[in-house]
Amino acid sequence: MSEKVLTVNQLGKSFKKTRIVEGISFDVYKGEIMAILGPNGAGKSTTIRNIMGIMYPDEGEIIFHNHGKEIPRHKIGYLPEERGLYKNVKVMDILLYLAELKNYPLKKAKKRVEEYLEKFDLKGKEKVSVEELSKGMAQKIQFIGAIIHEPELLILDEPFSGLDPVSQEVFKEEIRSLADNGTAILLSSHQMNLVEELCDRLFMIHKGRKVITGLMENVKEEYANFKCTIVGENDEQLFEQLPMVQRIEQKGIVTVIHLNQDVQIPLWLKELPSNLMIQELSIDRISLHEIFVDVATGHKGERKGGKLHA
Amino acid sequence: MRNSLKVAKWEYKRNIKNKSFLISLALTPILFILFATLPTLLSNTGNDDAATIYVHDEVNVLGELQDEAEPLGWNVQSAPVNQQAMMERVEDEENTAYLHITEEAVREGSVEVYTSDESDDLLQELSMIQGPIRTYQLSRLDLSEEQINAINKGINFIPAQSDPRESTSEGGTETSSADPLERLVPGIFAGIILFSILITGMMIFQSASQEKKDKVAESILSSITPNDLMQGKIIGYFGLGLTQVFVWSGFALPLMVWLLDDVPIIEYLFVPELALLVFIAILGYLLFAAIFVGIGATIEDVNASSNFQGIIMLLPFLPFFFIGPVLSDPEGIIATIGSYIPITAPALLLVRLSVLEAWPWVDISLAIVILLISVWLFMKLAGKVFQVGILMYGKNATPQEIWKWLRA
Repeated sequence: MSEKVLTVNQLGKSFKKTRIVEGISFDVYKGEIMAILGPNGAGKSTTIRNIMGIMYPDEGEIIFHNHGKEIPRHKIGYLPEERGLYKNVKVMDILLYLAELKNYPLKKAKKRVEEYLEKFDLKGKEKVSVEELSKGMAQKIQFIGAIIHEPELLILDEPFSGLDPVSQEVFKEEIRSLADNGTAILLSSHQMNLVEELCDRLFMIHKGRKVITGLMENVKEEYANFKCTIVGENDEQLFEQLPMVQRIEQKGIVTVIHLNQDVQIPLWLKELPSNLMIQELSIDRISLHEIFVDVATGHKGERKGGKLHA
Repeated sequence: MRNSLKVAKWEYKRNIKNKSFLISLALTPILFILFATLPTLLSNTGNDDAATIYVHDEVNVLGELQDEAEPLGWNVQSAPVNQQAMMERVEDEENTAYLHITEEAVREGSVEVYTSDESDDLLQELSMIQGPIRTYQLSRLDLSEEQINAINKGINFIPAQSDPRESTSEGGTETSSADPLERLVPGIFAGIILFSILITGMMIFQSASQEKKDKVAESILSSITPNDLMQGKIIGYFGLGLTQVFVWSGFALPLMVWLLDDVPIIEYLFVPELALLVFIAILGYLLFAAIFVGIGATIEDVNASSNFQGIIMLLPFLPFFFIGPVLSDPEGIIATIGSYIPITAPALLLVRLSVLEAWPWVDISLAIVILLISVWLFMKLAGKVFQVGILMYGKNATPQEIWKWLRA
């Protein structure tokens, strides 16, 4: 794997007496997209704010490789979850201000702003006042602000929230191309389908602790088990005799049977009771979304030793 | 520091282009000039058409009356027509009177005056030109000129000093104290600076609060430290305040020089003392700027801010309570104590130094030292509050929370 840009080591942070995050450790490598996932309140933003030096960790360390002790603010791009822009200023002015704060040369910044405005379908909006922008447009401007100075490390906290599908696609492409050009990217998101398509690695936290981490493909292989969905009026007891079952969820006439990892589908299908009412039956793998929901609702706890290291 | 200056430049540029700032920048001196001149203009309108006094003169005082009335701008002339016609004429004309001066009237001491109904004021004012008639009346009594003068002069009450030393010292400093404006002018100028940068200082409060509301802070803080941001705001708004002073002075100075053309305003203004006064004004600004920027960072919704923050916003106006007692006794106990309290010190020092003949240097030095230490302390405390407050979204901080941050 290529060189490390960021290492988070045993990060811990408390507010008052509540532990917000504990024992968080991960690396971000040059040219990769690393997702930090978790339900609301899991500690994603706290972790990111500690990395950014906006909060100071109680325990653990944050290491920026190739840089000294100081946070290399000029080499980091940051799109916070709580984001906004000054209202009564022009688009170009605020972007140049953000570039100036990063010590990025003005001329280059101006050129990049123009390029990106064109790329994001905002050509000719340089002189428009920020308050006249739609929410989606403003978000694009904020994104440009985060990458205007060609950062080595880009941290995106919920970059897709509030975007329409077309804009999501534009952002996705841009994030991918930034990574391909060597930027290390750490992003947090709730949009699991986007994360699944976009990210190379993921780190899932729940209640401030690591739950799952690893390469996307490994995680999917490990966690994305098969599930069998049956539509039809059946008694839950009918399924209890079935082998290789992790758990059963029944809502009305829909029954979802979560299967063990090493299940062999053709063999397992033969085990289905003959008196089963079946209007529809489907077998597919659970998505990252469902893994996420499992974690969030605590089902993952049912699995023991469910940790995977990249 | 470099980052602070970047922020300062940004805040300055952002506001100087802001329409509402520009409007207030231009409107304030216009309003000021309007308020300064309007009452005079209005009161002048009544006198614009000078009063006309027609005199039926049987005792030959018309010339003296004209001399007497000249400073008042009245037009005194001999009645062109007979009494009956005159009486009708003054009925129709405004601001016109007809004096019927006869030997008999002088002997009796009562001269008949005909005016239109609206001219009651004029009737009162006519007594100002009674001198020549009275002189004529007295001359009829065969008195010597000395006696006439004595009678005409009457009795005046003249204020006298009970302490002979004071009266001599007064005489001694006659030349320097001849014009109280000499001290007052730099003091007023420094006062304007203090007032103006305080007003812009309040904009810092808005700005910090708005930064929270717009959620810009976190993006900015990914590039610079909270202290850079806070200092940048303080410097930027200081620049705005000074711009305001320059613009206002641009209006006010020529106006003052023109209005008070016998007072050498410019010479009075640019004296070494001005430097100290301006220094005090700047310290005052820094003190309140620290308070405002800190409090601003704790408030997201200005409408929902508690009484606690409201009271703090009123702190700059506290000195107004002291100004009365301080003016009446600039070296008294209230003045001295007020100068040692950092919140009231800047304004009170300016007032005292403007009216005091001899500056109490020990007092001033001590007050400035206290002020300097307070500025340093308040800046540090504001830094602590700002750092946490600016990133707290969704609610205003409570006094308890602020207290906790201060102790952290």
